[in-house]
Amino acid sequence: MSQPFLLIQDLRKLFGEVAAVDGVSLQVRKGEFLSFLGPSGSGKSTTLYAVAGLYNPTSGDVMLDGRSILGTPPHRRNIGMVFQRYTLFPHLKVAENIAFPLRVRGWTTTDIARRVEEMLALVRLEGYGSRMPAQLSGGQQQRVALGRALAYDPPVLLMDEPLSALDKKLRDEIQVEIRRIHQTTGVTILYVTHDQEEALRLSDRIAVFNHGRIEQVGTGRELYANPATRFVAGFVGDSNFLMVSSVIAGPGGRAAVTLPDGSAFQDIPFHASSRETTTGGAELMVRPQAVRFSPGAQAGLPVKIKDLTFLGDTVSALLTTQWGQEFWLRMPAQEVGSHAAGQDARVTWNADGCHLFQT
Amino acid sequence: MLLTYDRMGGLKVVLWVIAVAVCIFLLVPIIFIIALSFGSSKWLAFPPPAWTLRWYQDLATDPRWLTAAFTSLKIGLLVTICSVLLGVTASLAVIRGRFPGRQFLRGLFLTPMVLPVVVFAVATYLLFLRVGLGGTLIGFVIAHTVLAFPFAFITISTSLESFDKSIEDAAVLCGAPPIVAFLKITVPSIRLGLLSAALFSFLISWDEVVVAIFMASPELQTLPVLIWAALRQELSPTIAAASSILVLITLVLMMIIAALRRRLAE
Amino acid sequence: MALPALLLMVIFFILPVAALLLRSVTEPEPGLQNYRELFATSTYTRIFLNTFLVAGITTVVTLVIAYPVAWLLAVLPGRKAMIIFAIILLSMWTNLLARTYAWMVLLQRTGVINKTLMHWGLISEPLPLVNNLTGIIIGMVYIMLPFIILPLHSAIRSIDPAILQAASLCGAGRWQSFRRVLLPLSASGAAAGALMVFVMSLGYFVTPALLGGANNMMLAGMIAQLIQSLLNWGLGGAAAFILLVVTLGLYGLQIRLFGNALAGGR
Repeated sequence: MSQPFLLIQDLRKLFGEVAAVDGVSLQVRKGEFLSFLGPSGSGKSTTLYAVAGLYNPTSGDVMLDGRSILGTPPHRRNIGMVFQRYTLFPHLKVAENIAFPLRVRGWTTTDIARRVEEMLALVRLEGYGSRMPAQLSGGQQQRVALGRALAYDPPVLLMDEPLSALDKKLRDEIQVEIRRIHQTTGVTILYVTHDQEEALRLSDRIAVFNHGRIEQVGTGRELYANPATRFVAGFVGDSNFLMVSSVIAGPGGRAAVTLPDGSAFQDIPFHASSRETTTGGAELMVRPQAVRFSPGAQAGLPVKIKDLTFLGDTVSALLTTQWGQEFWLRMPAQEVGSHAAGQDARVTWNADGCHLFQT
Repeated sequence: MLLTYDRMGGLKVVLWVIAVAVCIFLLVPIIFIIALSFGSSKWLAFPPPAWTLRWYQDLATDPRWLTAAFTSLKIGLLVTICSVLLGVTASLAVIRGRFPGRQFLRGLFLTPMVLPVVVFAVATYLLFLRVGLGGTLIGFVIAHTVLAFPFAFITISTSLESFDKSIEDAAVLCGAPPIVAFLKITVPSIRLGLLSAALFSFLISWDEVVVAIFMASPELQTLPVLIWAALRQELSPTIAAASSILVLITLVLMMIIAALRRRLAE
Repeated sequence: MALPALLLMVIFFILPVAALLLRSVTEPEPGLQNYRELFATSTYTRIFLNTFLVAGITTVVTLVIAYPVAWLLAVLPGRKAMIIFAIILLSMWTNLLARTYAWMVLLQRTGVINKTLMHWGLISEPLPLVNNLTGIIIGMVYIMLPFIILPLHSAIRSIDPAILQAASLCGAGRWQSFRRVLLPLSASGAAAGALMVFVMSLGYFVTPALLGGANNMMLAGMIAQLIQSLLNWGLGGAAAFILLVVTLGLYGLQIRLFGNALAGGR
């Protein structure tokens, strides 16, 4: 990658003694759709607000196109933003809301009128220009807000959980719209969300936030297949964590592990930070989808089936190990065979659906 | 970012300067009279050449001031009782009753708040002249109750509205006679509303000037009437002393209300 | 249950006010001659004009001073706001005569304000600050400030700060954000407060009577004088009726425009 379009460098924001953002660095390409994913209080919104200029960071830098923008007040940054709450100006009509940023930029009336029509078409609200915000649904309001934020062709669009107040069905609809608008306009988007499905569906890349830091940046596939930390493994996709009694590292970033009941598993991928051999303090992450009942009764981890639920084409089962840990399995319905709740069974898993993490 | 305190920059300073100036403007007269009341200058020179308690002694030894204060207190307490009782009964009827015209009644009960007091004062004056209530204690109490009642009504009906009547019904079903249920269950629950209503009613009567000026006779004068009469003659420091005592009373009542609020919030 | 309150209101509020208004068309003889006289006599029309002028100026000045204070209060975190609120409430609840007395002393020819200004060499002889319209307006602004700060504060507080952040990101600087967003969004609160202050000022009696002196009578003072000193009950009733109609009319307008927010006036 040559010079990054948007660069966040070692950003820190203290609120009193508490670090809301604790050394975040990130490079964003032009035209990229990048999501900040994390639980609430993980610093993702604060980072976004620092890019917007609504917070001044305690230290660090934000550069756009090679120049620091920290000294520029928000109204001169020329950045677009859609907020979590509805922020249309309630006293202005829809068209006047979209015209607002153009009017303060001194555009001519004809240019404004033309641009407002373009924007209404972009967010598919043609004919709504003379409505008041209060007459619109939540989803429509956020679409107008999107039109307002894009009206002046900002190089970067920030979105702070814009769909969190909407119901599921509406959210799905608008996600498709956002995707389409990103493709037509080519604008660089930073998108904050706590919903992994939303992040996976929308973004080119995802930055996973936790405790004011970025745990990992990558495409959805990378995060799922190669989680760098236990947190990412737990946050992106479903996962089980099993206790491990010993680990013997082998070549090629793979290891052999022994579970508390003595069952041994070979060839488990493990992350760089857990390279040394250890006898405790490690956990084995297993994706429920990677677990299968063993065909024979001899090989695999002995478990008891506590519960077995049919979910149409898949089956979900809750299993208990001999040392009392519970974990989940999910598999195609036709592969279940005669297994039923209350029975003993043995399970194996595909080594690529597992990861070893140091705790 | 005009509504984000931390991001207002220089604007914050401007607003603070104006707000502090306004606070000074609001406080200066109050502090000033208190200072004057301890000053020794008969002609209200400021800063006073020396400090004295003389004006307070004058007040304490002048039977006119003492009688007027006692009259004000007596009227204020009677008004408080009448206005709270009327407030409770009227609120019960308007909030819990199911009869047509309740909204009209509510509006009617609040009208004295918006009518210019001077109109009410001259109207009452003329009526009382005819029926012989002018200059009487009962006349004072009636007129002040009309002025205080809307405040009692609005305060009590607000707290009664937020009290769930089914709790009182439950007490009745448990075997309590309705009147006992009301006194033991509902009244304690709305006690803050009742207390505020009582304090408001008292303060309104205690501070009331306009009606009092028309109502007063040489034999029956309230404290505000006496101050009013004194003010029209000369600006003597005795009035400063009397005013300071009124400020003190307001301060105490405000603190009582604040303390009550806090206790109820806990 | 509402009967006692209803009786009080009918007998001692509606009846006397109605009787007063009736006198305006029956005394000294049936007809509208009282109203004709009011509008044909220059003394009276001047008083009407003065009253509206003072109420208007008071409203504008109060609004301009109150806005920044209400704004600061709306964004200020916790404790500091409490202090400012306490000062506003203290001044609001301090006895009206006490406050007016303080201004009479402060503003007089030999008062602290004139002395200070002369001491600093800003003026060479005392400014006439009292017994004229200036005095009335200073006193009225002082009394009305809380009545506009409090509703305006809640109006500004109800605006989501994120809307102003959005304006900022849209490219609006401070002035643009203020003029195009904050001001329009708080306009209805400001207008409601202003209308209320204007109406209250129209019928105010005590402060204009004490700070305006004999030559600057206002409408309320005129009604009082016509009834009590001149015993011209018909003419006084007519003036009272005009005040009543204007007041209730403006309050009706207020309720239609901004919903029901009642406050007291003295």
